[in-house]
Order: sequence, then structure tokens, then C-alpha cells
Amino acid sequence: MVKLRAKCILVGDASVGKSALSQMFRSDGAHFQKNYSMTAGVELVVKSVSIPDSGDSVELFIFDSAGKDTFLDACEKLWGQPSVLCVVFDWGQPSVLCVVFDVSSEVSFRSCALWLDRVRAHCQGLQLPGVLVGNKSDLSSRREVEMAMAQEWAQSQGLEYHETSAKEMENCEAPFLSLAQAFYTLYQDRIQTIQTLA
Amino acid sequence: MIHAALSSSGAQVILAASSDENYPPENIIDGNTESFWISTGMFPQEFIVRFSEAVKMSLITIHSYNVKNLRIEKNTSSDATDFELITQKEFEHTDGHLQENDFQLSATTATHLRFIITSGYDHFVSVHSVTVQ
Ligand SMILES: Nc1nc2c(ncn2[C@@H]2O[C@H](COP(=O)(O)OP(=O)(O)OP(=O)(O)O)[C@@H](O)[C@H]2O)c(=O)[nH]1
Ligand SMILES: [Mg+2]
Repeated sequence: MVKLRAKCILVGDASVGKSALSQMFRSDGAHFQKNYSMTAGVELVVKSVSIPDSGDSVELFIFDSAGKDTFLDACEKLWGQPSVLCVVFDWGQPSVLCVVFDVSSEVSFRSCALWLDRVRAHCQGLQLPGVLVGNKSDLSSRREVEMAMAQEWAQSQGLEYHETSAKEMENCEAPFLSLAQAFYTLYQDRIQTIQTLA
Repeated sequence: MIHAALSSSGAQVILAASSDENYPPENIIDGNTESFWISTGMFPQEFIVRFSEAVKMSLITIHSYNVKNLRIEKNTSSDATDFELITQKEFEHTDGHLQENDFQLSATTATHLRFIITSGYDHFVSVHSVTVQ
């Protein structure tokens, strides 16, 4: 039985629903915040995910980051190398990445490339499992980003694509479960590699 | 490769920041570089080696994989507190074989050695052996 720990960076434009998603995930769908309350800096959400049929688990330390530019500097410090800002957040490099956009906002989708670059800049060649999340799938009449388009771009970036609605409790766990699984797979791969070395 | 096992002289690993029961920290001091301890995610990572008595040393050798920055601290007390930094180093990345790093010390005495891995070349790092002379 092993418990892995992964630092999950959650990014995307302001008000796409990052906090809503991470809170839904944390509370198993019990808590949807209807009124927008902007995240300033980074909020930490910790939750353990069991890996099916293994007895193993991955503890996700989700860094729910502010989407608004004003906080970018502060966020970047926390994503990167052990930071001086706050001891609680002193955990080094990102392990996995979750980029979120709002399917009813093409602008938020276009920003994803930028968010991806920003986080990857902190990874120094480290392989970083990632997912792209199209949130607010309940707003179907206002949809601006087609699923096929998002999927195609995600694939080109090596990300797995998920659509969610934090409001309707649709699929909110899936992106996090898939990140945990990807990190777990990476761990098993590494053990295999290391066993061949000595 | 077999080295004089620290464990056979009564040394123990008394703390490791993370652990997989299949790759326990005892593997670091069993004198065998084939067995290893692996970290289970995020940095920093650390482990502490306790000697059965104060030990004089002038050389510490570490076999590892994907470790980037390592600090070594020591103390001379009977419990694992009040550590002082003795040395630190950025390891070179190796591909396909273990990292082997020597730390030359001007004769030092210690009852505990604390190894702090502050960063790695990968999400997971392994330590295969620590020996002292
Ligand atoms: N219709 C709908 N609204 C949502 C959904 N998810 C979040 N919202 C709403 O969108 C607004 C913004 O959500 P947040 O989770 O605060 O957005 P954020 O991405 O954390 O924003 P910042 O912290 O500023 O970066 C809130 O009013 C939420 O209630 C969803 O799936 N569907
Ligand atoms: Mg937020």
C-alpha cells in the first residue's frame, strides 16, 4: 500500500469555475457556490483519491489559483520552486496540471495556451500529466467552444479532455481522478526503470 | 555492488518523509545498491540516519537516481534535534545509471545525519545507499 502525493496546479481565466470545481470535488458534490467569490492568490484543497484495484492512493494538493492577472506573480511563486511566501505551500515543483475554461467563453478557451506555458515554465523539463477541462457544460444555449475543437487542441498538447458542470454536479470528479491515475502510472513506470538500473 | 552496511553496525533510518512499504528506507543502509528507497511525490524529501554511537567520518558516499539538490545536516545529540548544515550539492543528472556522489568532510563527528532532498530531476527520486568512512 502506498500513498503518493501530487501537487496539482489548477489554472484558467477568472470566473471559469476553478474554485467551484475544486470545492465540488472536495465536498463530494455537496457544495456549489452560486455567488462568485474571486480567489485572491492561491487556495489549497487537499483530497485523497483511491486507485481502483490497488489499495494505493494519491493525495492531491490542489493549488486553486486566481485567474485574475493581478495575482499572477503571487501564484507563480507558489507553483514553482520552494517558495518564500508561505511555509505551508513550500512543496517544490508541480506534479500534475489542470487547465480550465468556460465552454460559453471562447476567450477563456484561447487563454488556455497561455496558462499552459506559464505553468510549464516552472517545470524545467519535468514530464507533467495534465487535463483540459471545459466547465459550465450546462450552459448549452450559450456554448461558444465546440467539444470537438477543445478535444483536438487538448490532444495536440498531450492533455486529456473533460467536460464538466460544477453547477449540475456533472463529471466534476473525472478530471481529478484521471490526474491521480496518470501520476500513479508515472510512479509505477519509474519504479520499473529504477529496478533495471542497479 | 556491496558496501559495508551501516545497518550491520547498528545504524537505523529513523525518519523518512515518504515511504512505499515495498521500498522502505531501511534499504538505504543495507549495504546493497540494488535495493532502494523511493520518494512518493513532492519536495522536499528527507530521511535521518541514527548511529548507535557517535561516529567519526571524513567521507559520505551516496548512490541515488534523479536527485538534484541535496543538503546534509548532522548533530551530536541523542535525539534528532538541533541539526547543523555540513554540506550541500547539486547532483548531475544521469540517464540509465545511478548517480554516485562523494562528500569529502573535514573530520566530523555525528550521531545523526539528516539528508534533505530539496529538488529532483523527476517527480520521484530514489536513494540506493549511503555509506560513511
Ligand atoms: N452555470 C454554471 N456556472 C458555474 C459553473 N461553475 C461555476 N459557475 C459559476 O461561475 C462563477 C465563477 O466561479 P468560480 O469557481 O469562483 O471561478 P474561478 O475560476 O475560481 O474564478 P477566479 O477565482 O476569479 O479565478 C460563480 O458564480 C459560479 O457559481 C458551472 O458549471 N455552470
Ligand atoms: Mg477561484
